[in-house]
Amino acid sequence: MSHDLTLTINGTRQQIALDDPRVTLLDLLRERLHLTGTKKGCDRGQCGACTVLIDGRRQNACLALALSHDGAEITTIEGLAEGDTLHPVQAAFVAEDGMQCGYCTPGQVMSAVGLIAEGRAGTDPERIREGMSGNLCRCAAYSGITRAVLAAAEEMTTTKGERKTA
Amino acid sequence: MSAWHRPASLTEAIGLLAEGGVVAAGCTDLFPATRRQALSGPVIDLTRVAEMRGISETRGGWRFGAAVRWSEVLSAALPPAFDGLKAAAREVGSVQIQNAGTLGGNLCNASPAADGVPGLLTLEAEVELAGPAGMRRLPLAAFLAGARRTALAPGEVLVAIHVPSHAAAGRGAFLKLGARRYLVISIAMVAARLVVKGGRIDRAAVAVGACGPVASRLPALEAALAGIAPEDAAAAVSEALVAPALAPIGDVRGDAEYRGVVAVELVRRALRGLAAEGMR
Amino acid sequence: MPDVTPLPAATPIRMGSNAGQPRTRADGLLKVTGRATYAADNHPAGMAQAVLVTAAIARGRVTAMNVEAARAHPGVVEVYTPANRPELALEPDAKPSFFSKLTETLQDDTVRYEGQPIALVVAETLEAATEAARLLAPQYAAETARVGFDLAPYAPESVGFGFPIEMSKGDIAAGLSEAASTTETVVETPPQYHNAMETHAIVAEWKDGKLYLDTPTQAPGMSAAGFAAWLGLDPADVVIRSPFLGGGFGSKAAVVGAFLLAIQAAKLLDRPVKLALARHQMFGHVFHRGATRQTIKLGMDAEGRLTAIDHHTTAVTAAFEEFIEGASGAARTTYAAPAIRASHDGVRNDVGVPGAMRAPGEASGSAALEIAADVAAEAAGLDPLEFRLRNYAETDPMSGLPYSSKALRECYAEGAREFGWAGRPLAPRQMTDDAGMLVGWGVGTATFPCPMFGAEARATLRADGTAVIETALIDMGQGSWTAMAQIAADSLGLDVEQVEIRGGVSDLPDSGVAGGSGYTATLGLAIDNAGGDTIRQLAEIASSDPDSPLHGTGNTRVVARGGRLYAQDDESRSESYADILARAGRETLSGEGKGARGENDANDHSFQSHGAVFAEVKVDPDLGQVRVTRLVGAFAAGRIINPRMVESQLSGGMIWGISFALHEGAEMDPRTGRILNRDFGEYHVSVNSDAPSVKVLTIPEEDAFVNPLGVKGVGEIGVTGTAGAIANAIWHATGKRVTSYPIRLEELLDL
Repeated sequence: MSHDLTLTINGTRQQIALDDPRVTLLDLLRERLHLTGTKKGCDRGQCGACTVLIDGRRQNACLALALSHDGAEITTIEGLAEGDTLHPVQAAFVAEDGMQCGYCTPGQVMSAVGLIAEGRAGTDPERIREGMSGNLCRCAAYSGITRAVLAAAEEMTTTKGERKTA
Repeated sequence: MSAWHRPASLTEAIGLLAEGGVVAAGCTDLFPATRRQALSGPVIDLTRVAEMRGISETRGGWRFGAAVRWSEVLSAALPPAFDGLKAAAREVGSVQIQNAGTLGGNLCNASPAADGVPGLLTLEAEVELAGPAGMRRLPLAAFLAGARRTALAPGEVLVAIHVPSHAAAGRGAFLKLGARRYLVISIAMVAARLVVKGGRIDRAAVAVGACGPVASRLPALEAALAGIAPEDAAAAVSEALVAPALAPIGDVRGDAEYRGVVAVELVRRALRGLAAEGMR
Repeated sequence: MPDVTPLPAATPIRMGSNAGQPRTRADGLLKVTGRATYAADNHPAGMAQAVLVTAAIARGRVTAMNVEAARAHPGVVEVYTPANRPELALEPDAKPSFFSKLTETLQDDTVRYEGQPIALVVAETLEAATEAARLLAPQYAAETARVGFDLAPYAPESVGFGFPIEMSKGDIAAGLSEAASTTETVVETPPQYHNAMETHAIVAEWKDGKLYLDTPTQAPGMSAAGFAAWLGLDPADVVIRSPFLGGGFGSKAAVVGAFLLAIQAAKLLDRPVKLALARHQMFGHVFHRGATRQTIKLGMDAEGRLTAIDHHTTAVTAAFEEFIEGASGAARTTYAAPAIRASHDGVRNDVGVPGAMRAPGEASGSAALEIAADVAAEAAGLDPLEFRLRNYAETDPMSGLPYSSKALRECYAEGAREFGWAGRPLAPRQMTDDAGMLVGWGVGTATFPCPMFGAEARATLRADGTAVIETALIDMGQGSWTAMAQIAADSLGLDVEQVEIRGGVSDLPDSGVAGGSGYTATLGLAIDNAGGDTIRQLAEIASSDPDSPLHGTGNTRVVARGGRLYAQDDESRSESYADILARAGRETLSGEGKGARGENDANDHSFQSHGAVFAEVKVDPDLGQVRVTRLVGAFAAGRIINPRMVESQLSGGMIWGISFALHEGAEMDPRTGRILNRDFGEYHVSVNSDAPSVKVLTIPEEDAFVNPLGVKGVGEIGVTGTAGAIANAIWHATGKRVTSYPIRLEELLDL
């Protein structure tokens, strides 16, 4: 039995035929589409390493059945930069050293993009820490992560209007 | 290979359920609870069932579709009575979880530490169920039968949660205590709602969660609060008025005695916070 | 021949303009775009997916598995159990290397700990393998598990990696009996699990007579040798690709049975196989920090000077294998006393074998010793910082050797100044904030040794004057791609942009072990020596070439800078690398280097990094909730190659200290021996909100003896000192002494 779905992944519409309805969005991305930037950390929604944007909202791809998201727009870490131009959040993570081993980094970056889009944390470091607490970093690069999100949030606020929205 | 269905209507969903299968919505509890194993059977995804979507004000009060996500609760325009439920929405797992997890799932999984339950208890919530035998409504307290147990009959689903108009009055609050700052399962949590008239508490609703198999209201305390000034509410809280409603256990997260003590303190703080918000 | 005299090795090397710069992470772009490749990201053609099945009891036997049902599931390729286990060249209990531990590859039906491999399922898809693994439905005959400290202790063979179980100096009995006052402190630390964000994973492919492995390893050369020994292969035929580890923390150095199973499956099935452990499988099969119960007796004179330190550790190890957490080692390295005893015994539990986890020994040891020091300071009526200064070790407390360098006094002073320690009330429960929270301040001493394992590197100058460094370099977050390039550039007299690093694969020169905080020192020295060797050869070419402006200078009288060699005494005489190579008709010029501790160095000096950590906590008086509101750590760790990376390492280490103090610990069911919190939901590690303010200071420290680079190491020291500082701050806030980690909220209330 084949299960068909359509996903727009990083701007490209794709028809996908699944032989198995149990496939999560995470395993679809990683094991079948070979978009391996999104990481598996716990497979239980408890670490945030697999964070992607589904219709603009951040979610754990490990808890999303792929079929449940038929028709959705998915943005992964691979779709964030525009050509060689990094997204401000990506650039800030490099500048502020918001990473160490880098394994949780794609999830942290996607979560930060989601957080800034939600518009609730603003540039309050305490709200940013809370809003980023769904993303574990075992290296504990939290100081750099918070600095990076803060810097990106500030930059994206001041340059709003000039940037075209993703 | 198993089957997967995504019904668009309630009738369709109930028809599918009659043939058996695993119900899925936000899937945030499904995988942790089952380690993905139960997915070997048919899966019925309820997130597109029209009757289970959306938050609306009805003639009798407020209606929350069972498939409403926590982030929808957080961003909805709701009266201050729902402030406690909104505060709970903000502490369900992480934002990633809030963007997927549903109210209905939180109730149906019936974890003793379900973040949504105390707030909904203080809002006198009723659940609307549908099944082969038709529709029925139950008070939330009657729906939650025990730890991980509900009153759902075979083939029955939770369609919506209703908050009656009279309970949508006043202002609500919610406090959660965990062993970590965030992304944590509650050791104890408290929801409270006060309706104040003429400088006196007209009606009080207080509920405690994670301190027993199911969250529960505190009727003795609520009675004691009626008629007093909101700023005196915290002082009126005593262990004797709280403890009888609790049956805490000890576990990885905290021991039983501690849960009992902090539940009392959290109730005080919730009431103090509500008084400070200017209840008059 | 020109005059060629190598520089004496003990002379510190003058670093150029690259080292010391806070360059951003060289691999940052790869990491923020998702292009950094970790083991499980690989998908060779024809790959099958494996799922490991692990024991759900702590002790006993597997009595049955429904292999037929699993095999019958659509998409299943093969199911391995003890009945058809793949043969190995060595028994799974062989220990081919010093770091090896007993492991399991389905050798029999015995279960010796929860999480032990009992089967491997291979299928076309991950979903099919997962479902078939469920269908196996193992049945067990469980025996009563041995759990906890209250079992008969035994005398282990050794502590950590080969240290004696007891070391002492002076007369302990006299030191305690003649003391003006004595204190006794007992502290328990729980089993902790590394839980790198990347679970252990492997993609195994046999191709053209070689075995290619994508798997994270902290020691590519050693791992390749280990796999080869078990599989009966020539180590040269095992190629491990491990450019990035998603965290290691000590858990990814030794070969584990699950990996051998995946490799054997790939061979038997003649197709690549991928295996990634599930998160709950990180609790058992891949090492952990063993639990300890530490008893620390201190004797003091009337001025609060220690007369004796008696530190005894009872460490939990596996029933079938030994690794003893060397916690009492903290007593040997932290404070001065005329009599010191650091002793250990063990108790055997039905747990997976413990191993090295970030700051092994010191993390647990200092978490207890720092509490004991505060108990003593309280007894002596001294400020905790003053107590530490009175007991400052001017020389190594145990051996008496001089330190190669020790700027700990400066760490205490700078840290205290930054933190604002002055004016701290002596008694506990004196400070509150506006919200009514109890506020407390605590201090802890941080220290970690500076081991060096061996490493090798090759440097090659290219015709265009740029260079490439070759070594099996790995990065697990410490910033090695960045720091090593900085060292290389200085050794070659180039700008860092002109140096390429080729690494991440085990068939390059052996990069040694990324462990013990010794990677930058050891591999950095190998790279520096390789660069130096290359420049020496280049100078020989130029000096011996009559057409070169440098003719006759000799290699000790030239300076390499900016891609040119200059005559030291006459800078008008110079020539570019490219011109020297071109005239010599050379496309490339290679040099080699090794990094290791000098043979006799350790006889002359004691090598330790040092630091002082200051913590502020706020404790909710009615709920017992703790928040570490400020951490300040001042560290002296020799030469700093990249301040940005170093700050990240130290800050991360300090947050591990928060996690140690407040969050982490496996909870064992005392009846079954099962771990109750085998996931990230219940095994708490600190989240972002738990670490609001972490400040790192690095104190300049010149070290002419630790190694020619003067580099000590920063990977682990941040964990030490911090947990104790937090525990001491909690006492200062509440008056409650911490007796076990992690600190539970209920223990801080008067229940």
